[in-house]
Amino acid sequence: MKIPTMIHLRGYLTLTVRGEHVEAFINSLAKAGIPVWDVTPTGAHSAELKLLLKDFRRLRPLLKRTGCRTRIKERNGYPFRARRLLKRKAFVIGVVMFFAILLALSSMVWNVEVEGNATIASEDVLDAAKQEGLYPFQWIFKLQSMDKLSGNITARLPGASWVGVERNGTRIRIQIVEASMPEKPPLQNPRHLISTRDAVITYIYAEKGVPKVAINSRVKKGDILISGVLGDEENSERIVAKGEVKGLVWHEYDIEIPLVTTHKVYTGEGKKRSYVVFGDRAVQLWGYGKIPFSQQETLTFYDPLTWRSRSLPLGWMTEKIMEVTEVQRSITEEEAKKEGIEGARRDILAKYGANSKFISQKILHDKRENGKVYMKVLFEVEETIAKELPIVYDQGE
Amino acid sequence: MSRISRKLQKWTQEVLDLPQDLLFDLPRLTLVGNKELHIENHRGVRHFSGERLVLSLSEGSLEISGTGLAIQAIQSHEVTIIGTIHHIQYIGMGEKP
Repeated sequence: MKIPTMIHLRGYLTLTVRGEHVEAFINSLAKAGIPVWDVTPTGAHSAELKLLLKDFRRLRPLLKRTGCRTRIKERNGYPFRARRLLKRKAFVIGVVMFFAILLALSSMVWNVEVEGNATIASEDVLDAAKQEGLYPFQWIFKLQSMDKLSGNITARLPGASWVGVERNGTRIRIQIVEASMPEKPPLQNPRHLISTRDAVITYIYAEKGVPKVAINSRVKKGDILISGVLGDEENSERIVAKGEVKGLVWHEYDIEIPLVTTHKVYTGEGKKRSYVVFGDRAVQLWGYGKIPFSQQETLTFYDPLTWRSRSLPLGWMTEKIMEVTEVQRSITEEEAKKEGIEGARRDILAKYGANSKFISQKILHDKRENGKVYMKVLFEVEETIAKELPIVYDQGE
Repeated sequence: MSRISRKLQKWTQEVLDLPQDLLFDLPRLTLVGNKELHIENHRGVRHFSGERLVLSLSEGSLEISGTGLAIQAIQSHEVTIIGTIHHIQYIGMGEKP
């Protein structure tokens, strides 16, 4: 009922008290305020009782006064157990070792992670970190402060504009923000700009290099327009010629346009066939029957079963059979000529650059034969005529 | 205690309806079945064995007899006795208040 708290933690004793005046001893215990419990008489002049370990020393004067003797019968509780365990050396060493190893292992860097690098190799970052004393199995207490580390690693990595070092337990995270570098222009050989075809120069602008032709001069295909060689014959330097040259060029086109054209047109009627495909075999399921169309086109769709972007040799195939009819369209001669010239112009723009300019056009002759219009047209076009020619280093000098 | 003070105490007890153990140092016994007995205001153990236990009170004494008696806890004014209790008897306690 009034047993002290936490007796197991504090340790308690079971005592046997013998003497003429056990009652007096118990009274004096109560007077002195020493808590005892489970007092049981074991004989006429003896009793058993329990008391806390810390009160045992205080018993002596009381025993002397009352003329009783005690014998310890049992020792219970944590202090006694601890003392017994401490006597076993290997056990104690084991406990100490356990905590020592735990402490040692938890005060070690176990892994270093690099994050946020795209162009800098992780190995380079780890190398830089290693030179600053940050690597796996290094003691954490040997590390410099994180601010210092990040500063020093930044200094060692030229491609990084900021490096953050963060410790989370035994894990170090290095975060990198890479400096954005200007794009390097691709390396180019020294070169000339030469003409792609016979032309009359209308515009020349040499950004780099020596212009060799003037406006209104005629050039042949392969002539140097802007030279990539600077200086005279003794002191010369080869550079990458750069610039823009435009010239008048003549293109002759032979054009033939049919006056009547036939087109295939879907009527909208159709039929569907469905197949199941196993490997390279298809089994038709639906759409049996004859095809009632005189002219048709077949469209095939194959839809294999897929599993994670891998197609399986099993699938579904549908065929669409569409009825078509032919429709004829006839145009006048004027329209045919117009169409032909338009087509030729589109061809020129596609072939010689979209910034080509049509200066003039001339129909040299035209005739109508076998339902077609034949034409010969000359186009005068201003277009870019420069082309790069690498300067070979040793031109057989 | 003088007669006057005793009378005064008795008067206050009656007027204020106070429990007697507070005023007269009387023992207060709490008996749980026949297994546990809690006594307040005792004056020490006079005799102690498994069958008989005598506690001295401020006046007279209290004899408890039974089998397997043991003191579960003891303090200077309180004691808890466990065991099988057969008799509780007051010895030498006069009728005079």
